[in-house]
Amino acid sequence: MRRLLLCLLGAAAVSAQPAVAQPTVAPTPQRAGDANGEDFAGYNIVNSLETGYRFRSVDGNLGKYRSDVNFGNGLRVLGSYLTINSKKTGSGKLFDELVLSTQGLGNDPYQFSSLRVQKDKLYRFDSVWRWMDYFNPALPIANGQHGINTNRQLQDHDLVLLPQNRFRLLLGYSRNQQDGPAFSTLQFPDGRGDEFTYLWNVRRTRNEYRLGTEFELLKTRFHILHGWEYFKDDTRAPLFSPGPGANPNDTNTLTRFRRDEPTHGQAPYWRIGIHNEARKAFTFDGRFTHSTGQRRFVVDELAIGTGRFGAAQNRQLFAGGNARRPVTTGNLTLSWFPLERLTLTNHTALYNTRMEGEGSYGEFANAAAGLSYLNFQYLGIRTFANLTDANLKLNRWLGLYSGYHFSERRVASSQLADPDPPARLDRAEQTNRLHSGLLGLRLQPVKQLRLSLDGELGRADRPFYTTSEKNYHTLAARAQWKTKRASLLARYQTNYNLNSNSLFVHSARNRVASLDATLNPKPFLTLEAGYGHNHIETVTGLAYFSLGELTENDRSVYRSRLRQVRLGAHLNLARRADLYFGYHRIQDAAHLGLSLMDQAFPLTYQTPLARFSVQINKNLRWNLGWQYYNYKEQRLAWQNYYAHTGYASLSWSF
Amino acid sequence: MSPVIRLSGLLLLACLLEAQPKDPYIGSQACRACHVAQTQSFFRNAHTKAERGCESCHGPGRAHVSAGGKKDLIVAFSALSSRKALDNCLACHGKDWSRNNIRHSAHTQADVVCSNCHSVHQAATPKHLLAKPQKDLCYSCHPNVQSQFSMPFKHRVNEGTVQCADCHNPHGAPAPTWRMGQRPRLQQHAQANEQSCVQCHADKRGPFLFEHAALRVDGCGSCHAPHGSANPRLLNRPVVFTLCLECHNGAPGFGREGQGIPTQSASHNMADPRYQNCTTCHVKIHGSNADARFLR
Repeated sequence: MRRLLLCLLGAAAVSAQPAVAQPTVAPTPQRAGDANGEDFAGYNIVNSLETGYRFRSVDGNLGKYRSDVNFGNGLRVLGSYLTINSKKTGSGKLFDELVLSTQGLGNDPYQFSSLRVQKDKLYRFDSVWRWMDYFNPALPIANGQHGINTNRQLQDHDLVLLPQNRFRLLLGYSRNQQDGPAFSTLQFPDGRGDEFTYLWNVRRTRNEYRLGTEFELLKTRFHILHGWEYFKDDTRAPLFSPGPGANPNDTNTLTRFRRDEPTHGQAPYWRIGIHNEARKAFTFDGRFTHSTGQRRFVVDELAIGTGRFGAAQNRQLFAGGNARRPVTTGNLTLSWFPLERLTLTNHTALYNTRMEGEGSYGEFANAAAGLSYLNFQYLGIRTFANLTDANLKLNRWLGLYSGYHFSERRVASSQLADPDPPARLDRAEQTNRLHSGLLGLRLQPVKQLRLSLDGELGRADRPFYTTSEKNYHTLAARAQWKTKRASLLARYQTNYNLNSNSLFVHSARNRVASLDATLNPKPFLTLEAGYGHNHIETVTGLAYFSLGELTENDRSVYRSRLRQVRLGAHLNLARRADLYFGYHRIQDAAHLGLSLMDQAFPLTYQTPLARFSVQINKNLRWNLGWQYYNYKEQRLAWQNYYAHTGYASLSWSF
Repeated sequence: MSPVIRLSGLLLLACLLEAQPKDPYIGSQACRACHVAQTQSFFRNAHTKAERGCESCHGPGRAHVSAGGKKDLIVAFSALSSRKALDNCLACHGKDWSRNNIRHSAHTQADVVCSNCHSVHQAATPKHLLAKPQKDLCYSCHPNVQSQFSMPFKHRVNEGTVQCADCHNPHGAPAPTWRMGQRPRLQQHAQANEQSCVQCHADKRGPFLFEHAALRVDGCGSCHAPHGSANPRLLNRPVVFTLCLECHNGAPGFGREGQGIPTQSASHNMADPRYQNCTTCHVKIHGSNADARFLR
């Protein structure tokens, strides 16, 4: 009877899950097998494996589809889930808990696996592995011209020995690898030459090793960790003949090109944490880090072609040197609880870095005399920030919070590019101070309803950039009604920033509003709906050259009217079958500007989807899904596409 | 559960209580009589390792059981103030490095504490005991972020390979080392002290001989909208040249020397489309080792 009761509770809990937010149609969220698992050799095992076939049919711009979505045809393991738990704590021989979940293995462009294995009081091991195929390779060509998938693999492995002990040992390893062909561009023979696209072979690897400990001493907890990061970029463009330049009217050509630019470096770092909660009314947290980054580099390039007037041109350059960036940070957080209902926290942060490097540069071209010089660069940043916050709960239904934040940043720099060192090094320095205040109010008039209202006001005296925050304010309001069967969330926020001096102005305004509702009218039915808009308006003074004339009084205007509609319905039929319908539409309703500097990007992107999953027997489910993508933009209509994607799969448990 | 079984359980417990000394703790076995759903599969829960079982979090249970399940005689998280709920969890979890800023985090300030996101008894994810899968949990309070991740170009969060917690620390983070050290307030730091972006985009980390100061002073967000954008490079503007020109306009008082960020060269003609794709020539815009203008 108890087992039956648990099954009913489990089924109700599953069916009462809210409709998931804009998912990709596969994998299927419902799993095969008994949620309570099977007992075997002192362990309880729950598992479900979904294998199936994905299909797609694309009309329109296939390259844009592959950049945005990239799901293709083929068989794959859409998802899997496995948990093995010892029935009694600490009774497992090698482990007490194993949790493994995977997604998209075998063929999907986005593959993921997560593993946790732990043995009570002895160890805990966490591992995450990801594989991503990017069709849009995030390299420099504007407008996202498409080529071939580049591949990125990320791995993170962490082992904690004696996880429940006062003394814990931490070991970790992370790897980040990027491989594959990608496009880049080169301008030849000089700044007035044509641009040539070339294919290069991306090969970047980052390895990070971590060793640390956590222990308790004099009622204070310490965290000490040392990490070693090694990075190498051996991306190269082997000797080859690029195609014609990007501008048909240019007469110069590039017939042979080769570039090697290996960069190897390391960044060892320390981090130390101190935490003390020994006294009830006072806690102390400290965090100190230091890292020393270094990269050694060489650039070796050869380009051969013809100039604007048909004369042979060749250029060979060689650069080599070293760049360094030591960074030190310190953070101290003090929390004081003078009253049961009052919390005061003060956070002080110090950040100090200097970036410096030197390199030699040599260039030899048949059209000009050889050129060589030494470079030296220095950029130093020191930031001090102090943030004090107070949080007061006046009574059960009313709370107040406020804060005052101050930060000061000093930026110093010097640059040298001189063919005949030593030369005088000009040094520049500037300081920016920011004061900001925060005030907020929380209300909970009844248990189900939570309201909050807050505002922030900030003033900086010397921002670094024309688009940085200078005189800004933020206002936000939020209301949430939540019961077991329904929830309603309304939110509004506006951000405004004005950064101006006597000759220039930058003004930015952002307004966000949303209303989201979830309803569970019956245990077998979940409905979800949401609407949101995000309006952005910026105006910035510009100065640029056009037809050889300097234009100083123009403005860049950017408008975005982003609107989002989201609908979802999940129906559980007779506790055997699940039906899900979803629709998501995002639209930027701003109108295309009339001038070059009047920017908007009207687009519509909608993705309806439907999924059906039925339990065939205790250990088997059959799943079917369809998702439609429709992308339309006004600026470059040739980028538009619509695609039908879907899958059919079996989820099984053994 | 039928009232008969429940009553029998309570009677049995009452007999047991009579035979015990007055230890305020009663043991997890007693909880099972009434809280079947919570205890039946609790062996899957990481909290099963806690020394006193259920009472490690819920406090001594003898009085609660003796009084026939009176709610105010046990630590019920649903009835706790947010501050007390936080204190209870931090008693064990406060030692972790990732949580040493929780007291001044934006979530705590807004009364969002552990039990708002974590469901110890009915977790949707066994690893972190979250009440829902991570992205759905975050979206439920941040629907505007959900709309950003629905843009054509985005990090692959909806596809399941990137998680919100890869870049953000919902438990609070130290002051950022970029911008003015104030915002964003829940940004995870990569390695020891850097923006989370360089954790994956290691090639942008540098150091470079020629740094693009925008990255180091105001951070990647100066140019990029990491959640999603209409631009294939996740830029804050739909086209690249307006983004560049908005800073490179020579306005006095800004930039490294405080004399304005240099305007473009007079050889550039913005009326000609070939000059409107700045990064076609300035390919190493994040930093270069060979060219101060980021040409190679």
